[in-house]
Amino acid sequence: MNTNLISRTKTLLLHSIAALLLLLPLAAQAKLKVVATLPDFGSLAKEIGEDKIDIVVLAKATEDPHFVDARPSFVVSLRNADMLIDGGAELEIGWLPPLLQNARNPKIEIGKPGRVQAAQGIRLMNVPTNVTRAAGDVHALGNPHFAVDPIIAKAIAQHIAQSFAALDPPNAALYDGNYKKFEATINAKLQGWGAMMQSFQGQHVAAYHDSWPYFAHRFGINIDVFLEPKPGIPPSPSHLTDVIGQMKSHQIKAIIVEPYHDRRIAEKVARSTGAKVVDFSQFPGGIPVTDSYVKLIDTLVSRLADALK
Amino acid sequence: MFWPIVACVLLPWLLVYLGLHVVQRGIIFIDIAMAQMASLGICLAVLLHLDLESWTTFGIALAFTLVGAAIFSVTGKRASQIPQEAVIGISYVVAAAAAVLLLSRAAEGDEEIKNMLIGNILLVTPREVWERFALFVAVGIFHFVFRKNFLLVSYDREGAYQKGLRVRWWDFVFYAVFGLVVTSFVRIAGVLLVFSYLIVPAVCGISLAQRIGNRLLIGWIIALVGGVAGLFLSYWWDLPSGAAIVCTFGALLLVVAALALIRGRLRTTN
Repeated sequence: MNTNLISRTKTLLLHSIAALLLLLPLAAQAKLKVVATLPDFGSLAKEIGEDKIDIVVLAKATEDPHFVDARPSFVVSLRNADMLIDGGAELEIGWLPPLLQNARNPKIEIGKPGRVQAAQGIRLMNVPTNVTRAAGDVHALGNPHFAVDPIIAKAIAQHIAQSFAALDPPNAALYDGNYKKFEATINAKLQGWGAMMQSFQGQHVAAYHDSWPYFAHRFGINIDVFLEPKPGIPPSPSHLTDVIGQMKSHQIKAIIVEPYHDRRIAEKVARSTGAKVVDFSQFPGGIPVTDSYVKLIDTLVSRLADALK
Repeated sequence: MFWPIVACVLLPWLLVYLGLHVVQRGIIFIDIAMAQMASLGICLAVLLHLDLESWTTFGIALAFTLVGAAIFSVTGKRASQIPQEAVIGISYVVAAAAAVLLLSRAAEGDEEIKNMLIGNILLVTPREVWERFALFVAVGIFHFVFRKNFLLVSYDREGAYQKGLRVRWWDFVFYAVFGLVVTSFVRIAGVLLVFSYLIVPAVCGISLAQRIGNRLLIGWIIALVGGVAGLFLSYWWDLPSGAAIVCTFGALLLVVAALALIRGRLRTTN
């Protein structure tokens, strides 16, 4: 009885040691810890990194990217991160710098291999010629809502794949392969999206906030009437009267709103112009059934095409 | 989490003390009104395209705080039909609405202004903590030196008048210094947290003790426990830190109220 127990304990011990030895190489090959500020970058990173990375996305898809409520886990994630992917075009300027200051992680400082700034190498639109604050909440580097252009998204994905490969050489081939897959998907999809938008070329569309110049540019439409008088400034009655006039003269059929905008204002304008309110999101997950980047653009294109018919 | 904890240990003691005055005077919403006056000053600076971190902006905010102090000291008459809280409420709504009007003209995006006015305790920097600590120590010494006058004016206004004290002048000084403290704390901690630090520990102290020294001691313990415990809860459950501290204070107040009730029962049965 007693010897039986001892031998059982022995085998148990031996088994656990064996199991530990087996686990060791896995532990040594720790996953890359990646933090993305916004869900679009997070979604691209998942596409490239699959299960080789641990990804934490700070902002929720339904949250205004200009204002994100910081929680303690944000600081912890940033402190432990091997890599940070941010926009790099001042979209997160209101909340990211103090978080970084608190996290004090030298690995993700600007210029280090652990810092991917998505805007790097991308020509931003609407760069203000002189930056005075009088123009409203204008971003000095240009419009920061660039990731909704699929061609720009390819560039960001490539940037991410190269950065992953640099930090994690053993998996470089996988990252590169995933990028090529993503690139091929986008290239194939672009034709279909282009075809859906073909008949609306040159049409004008209204939006609550100026988040869509890249999307408009890619698909040949003009999203150039905004319910906000200036970016970040809530609509005033006189401005809305102007907007309604412009919408009537351009025969605008759609008003784009995002989850964190005041939909009631858009609905009111829609009632007096006969336009439709179209729910858009810059971020995968911000509107239903858009859990990947490609599905998001699919949804945006088909929603807009429906509204413009 | 290190600097938020340091902030919650080094800074609230002065707020607790000022809170005892505020609760005694029955002017609970003075802090929010004062903070709003300072914000109005910052909105004006925005309209003038001043650098928000500059001394000029600070000067304008300070001037607006002094205007608030002047209003509240002038209206705090010896015998008035209008309660002081009404004047405070009116000042708050008018200052808040005026800020909305100014910003609509200023055409400045509001993210930076919001950050300027309302801080997040989670994101305090060492410099912010030490600057405020220095200010609070200075104010603390000032209050300690003139404690007799300040306490008399808050706790026994009639007595103060009879002694020939210039009550309205002391009111003005109190409000001006108070505005400085509140405004500087709002910028790192937000409005909810300032309000809680002023009122909850003071109310706990008042319900458990009679002498001001004991009330202060109880208030300090509550402020310390509530602040640090709230931060830890926010860390464990990943909650917004300011709101977690405020709710911890709410829970502590319930415990203190139960204690006071039990003690009251024991006294009556004895």
